[in-house]
This record gives sequence, structure tokens and C-alpha cells, in this order.
Amino acid sequence: METTVIDAHNISKTYDPTGIPVVAIRNVHMHIAKGEFVALVGPSGSGKTTLLNMIGGLDHPDSGQIIVNGTDITTLTQKGLVKFRLHNIGFVFQSFNLIPVLTAKENAEFIMLLQKEKKAKRDERIDLLFNQVGLMGKKNIRPAQLSGGQQQRVAVVRALASKPQFVLADEPTANLDSASAFNLLDMMAKLNKEENMTFVFSTHDQRVIERARRVITLVDGQIVSDQQ
Amino acid sequence: MIITLAWRNIWRNKMRSLVIIASVTAGLFAGIAILALYKGMMKSRIRTVIDTETGHLQVHAIGFTADQDPSLFISHQEDITRSLSTNQNIEAYTTRTITAGMVSTPSGSAGVSIMGIDPAEESRVSGLSKKMREGKMQWAGQTKGILIGKKLAKKLKLALGEKLVITMTDTADNLIAAAYRIQGIYQSANAPLDEVNVYVSKKDLQEMLGLQKQVHEIAIKLKKDEGLEEQLLQLQHAYPTASIESWKTLSPETSMMAGTVDTLSYIILIIILIALSFGIMNTMMMSILERRHEIGMMMALGMNRIKLLMLIMTETFLLTITGIPIAMLIGRIAANHYEKKGMDLSGMGRDMMESFGFETMIYPSYPADKMGFIILLVFCTALVSSILPIIKSLRMDPVSALQK
Repeated sequence: METTVIDAHNISKTYDPTGIPVVAIRNVHMHIAKGEFVALVGPSGSGKTTLLNMIGGLDHPDSGQIIVNGTDITTLTQKGLVKFRLHNIGFVFQSFNLIPVLTAKENAEFIMLLQKEKKAKRDERIDLLFNQVGLMGKKNIRPAQLSGGQQQRVAVVRALASKPQFVLADEPTANLDSASAFNLLDMMAKLNKEENMTFVFSTHDQRVIERARRVITLVDGQIVSDQQ
Repeated sequence: MIITLAWRNIWRNKMRSLVIIASVTAGLFAGIAILALYKGMMKSRIRTVIDTETGHLQVHAIGFTADQDPSLFISHQEDITRSLSTNQNIEAYTTRTITAGMVSTPSGSAGVSIMGIDPAEESRVSGLSKKMREGKMQWAGQTKGILIGKKLAKKLKLALGEKLVITMTDTADNLIAAAYRIQGIYQSANAPLDEVNVYVSKKDLQEMLGLQKQVHEIAIKLKKDEGLEEQLLQLQHAYPTASIESWKTLSPETSMMAGTVDTLSYIILIIILIALSFGIMNTMMMSILERRHEIGMMMALGMNRIKLLMLIMTETFLLTITGIPIAMLIGRIAANHYEKKGMDLSGMGRDMMESFGFETMIYPSYPADKMGFIILLVFCTALVSSILPIIKSLRMDPVSALQK
């Protein structure tokens, strides 16, 4: 039986930074099951990042409900959201966002350290993932000495290390060359299969769209198509 | 993780952090140097008071120190001196006959305290013989001899061998006067005392005042400074009809100065640290603004506010306290060097220092006893410096911080 991971009901979000209201998300309904590999696509300003931020508990919708793994995250306090993010969601950012003063391994285990996981457990998990992404020899190297593709792979390992409910990736291939982008996508597809990990991407990169098993298209804050 | 991350974060901009660490080191060193110098000055001042002015303890008749009435002599003088002679804790003592009087010369006059002394006894307690600049510490010749301070000699334009007249009242309240010839001019580290204390033969003064062998003061020098309070209590208990005081009450200005100097040096140190805290705060604010994106990312990943607060506070503490051991080490080396060699401050106002009773050659002493408090002050500085950067980072919204 299919397990629901993300269930968004009628969510809307309007920004009003200059006194002129801008509707970012309008009455969106979305349902994502465990193990899906979903691409959120659409032109710039269509609301992809806003939707991703709301699903990830970084931003609050003005109305509607977002239920993640049975928890309505729209009712959580700021403190509750931080804890929820730590234990349930893995993030991959467009510009990698690794901590430059930490090694690849230290970056990868950052979330597990915040979760106060034991060293043995951390080492075992990080070694397994570094093996899977082919970076075993680069564990003790700082991000500045890694290529863009390698840095993004470390970011994916960081997101997956704590075994979250799902991984949200905002334009993960935007700063990568074609070869690195394909490598990353292959690696994420492999992890999706092997770990049954749910991936949700926001992207307008055709290479990512082609690999996705489900594509949700947003235009002006509304879902205009949802194709398997 | 917090400590590792904080330590590495402060070295992201090596030059900026080094400048701050160097500033803290220099500021702390300055504070330690001031404390060492003041401690040396106070040690020297206390030594001067004990070794050349009052001794450790003094015995007087009750009421004598208020107006130096010559009829208020010590009543159990022989009992006391006999007991002092057998006391193992006492290095030396001297008896003095004292009265107030007026020195007159053709060029002027001045109020003085006339001290009748036995030169040999006196030198063992106050080291008066070592302070002689001109002449000798002995009474010879037909005319009565007198030793006066350099400052009084300068004030009354007197020179060695010249005569002066002293006027005083005896124990029967008769006004008496006598001519004295200057047989010696002394100079101590306390210029105000040099202006008022003159020394004559105890025997002569006793005769002039109409006394037998009575004395007004017994000055006692102990073998060790440490036994002071114990000896004081012992003597006070043994001779309840006499006034027995330690140098702390006999020279209250020195005792007060010792306390005030500590407070003053702490105030200077606090001012230095306040100035430094602005530099530390500015560095931390710049560091946080530069890492805005990264801090937003850490918050997004699930770093809570307490951990973020701990991170920023640890960074500020590390940036501030790294200079402590360096400053302490340099301070120790410098203090040890000058403790042996001494610092000659005569070029910075000899007259002013002497007028306050300070030697011009100072031997700074490393203030090891104050290091705990200094470290506490530095920690407080770090805490205060971290407040604004913490507020700034905690107010960050991860979504807007993540936007470039």
C-alpha cells in the first residue's frame, strides 16, 4: 500500500513586500507518496521555491494545510518546525551550501551531529553513503578542493545521512556542468531506488525533468499539470 | 562540534582575527603591566613606611598622638622594653622622646616634630643613618646637634654647620628655646616627613622637657611582616593602658592607598576592555554578515537557536580569550625582568613621587593574585561583546538569509 509522505491541501501564499500583493501560490493541492522522484517545474516566478519552502517548513502558507508524514506542519511553532526539519527533511540547495571550514565528512555528518547521533553510527552511515556516491577518497577534503559536482554530491549525502522522510532539492543542477549534472541525477536516482528515498526537486532544467518519474508543472502559483 | 566549528570560523579571516587577538593581548598586557607597576609601587611604599618611618608597631601613651603633649609619656616603658628584648619575633626596637616645636632661622621658621633619639637604636629600626646625605649621625661639639631633612633645609635655606633655634614647651608648659647646630642633613623617600621631622639627642631633649628617662614612643620592627596582627593583639592584651598601633593605623594614607590603587588599576583595565569589546563586537558582526547565507542554511537544516547562540558565543569567547595566555606570559616575563632590574621613574616626576612618599626606583611585581579576576573580566568582555552578534544572528530568517 502506498504511504503518503507529503499532503498539501488548498495552500496559498501571497507576498506583499512593496505594498503590491503578489500571489506566489494559489490553492495548491499536492500529494506525494513514499519513494517518489518528483520534479516541480515551471518558469521563473511560478512559485516552485515558495512551494518547496512551505513543504520544507521554512515558510508558512497563508491558508491551507500541509501534512508531512501525518503531522500538520502549519500548526507547528518556530521551535517545533526547527525540530521537525531536523528529523524529517533533507535539503539540497542550488549553491551546495557546504560549510567551508568543515571537511566533506564533517559536512555530511552535520545533521547527524545536531541529532546527537553516536560516532559509530555516524561513521557507518557516512562511509556507506560516500561509497555509494563515489567520494570515499575525498572524505577529509574541504569543499574548496572539490569540484562543483563533488560538492553537490556531499550535499546530497548530508541530506540523506540522517534518513529523512524526504529530500527537497532546490535547483540542484543549476550550478553544474552537464557531466556533473548527469552524474548527480544518476546518483540521486540510484539512492531513490536503493534507499526508497523520496526526492522532490524544483527545477527548470530539462535534464532533471527527463529523469523525473513524476513532473508537476506550476504556472503563476497554480498546478497546471501533474504527469507520471 | 560547536567548539571545532567556532575555532575554525575565527580563522576564516586570519588577518582580521589576528588583529583582534593582538589587540586583546596588548590591552591585557597593558592592564597586567599597570597592576604589576602599582603592586611594585605599593610594596615599595609599604616597605618604606615599615623600614624607615613607623616600623611595624608603635607604642604611645593614650592621647599622645593627637597633640604630642610631652607630659603624656609611656608609663610602663621599662616593662615594655624588657618584654620586647626577650621577644623572639622582634628584630629591633627604639625609644623616642617627642615633642612639637618651632624651628627659627633668620630666613624663616617652620613647625616641626622634634624627635629625641639614640642614633644606634634608631638606625636599627628606621635606617636613619642610611638616609644621611650630608654630615654624620652623631652628636658632637659644644653646641647641641640636630639632624634635619633636605626639604626643610631647602625651605629655610639652611646648610650643614649652620645654627637654628628651636622653641618648644616643656612638661610644665614653660616656653623654652635652644640653639642647635646642623650636624647632618638626611633625605628619605617621603619628602613631607623630611620637612617636619628633626632629630636631636634623646638625653638632651628629655632634660629640656623636664623628663627623667621617659619616652613618648617605642617603635618596633618585627622579623617578619606576617606576624603583625598577632603581635599587635599580644601587645595590646599585655599593655591595655598604652596605645599600641600597627603601621596600617599609623600611616592610614598608605593603607588606604594600597586599596585604592587596586581599584584604580581595575578601573583602567575595565576601560581598556570596554574599548576592546567594540573591536571584538565589530569583528563578530562582520563575520556574521559575511556568513548570513551559511547561517540561514544551518537554521534550515535544523540548527536550533540555542546551538546557534552557543556557536556565536563560543566564537566570541575564543577570539577574546586566545590573547589571555600570551598576555600573561609576556606580562610575567616583563615583570620578572623589571622585578630584578627595577624601573627608574625619576624622569617622570621625582618631586611628585617623593611628595607622595614613593621611591623613584620601582620594582614591578607580577600580580599573580589578581589573575583570576583579570580572567573573569575578560570573560565578561567576551560575554558583552557577543550580545549584539547573537541578537543579529538569532533574528535571521532562514528563507531570506538563503536568498542571495
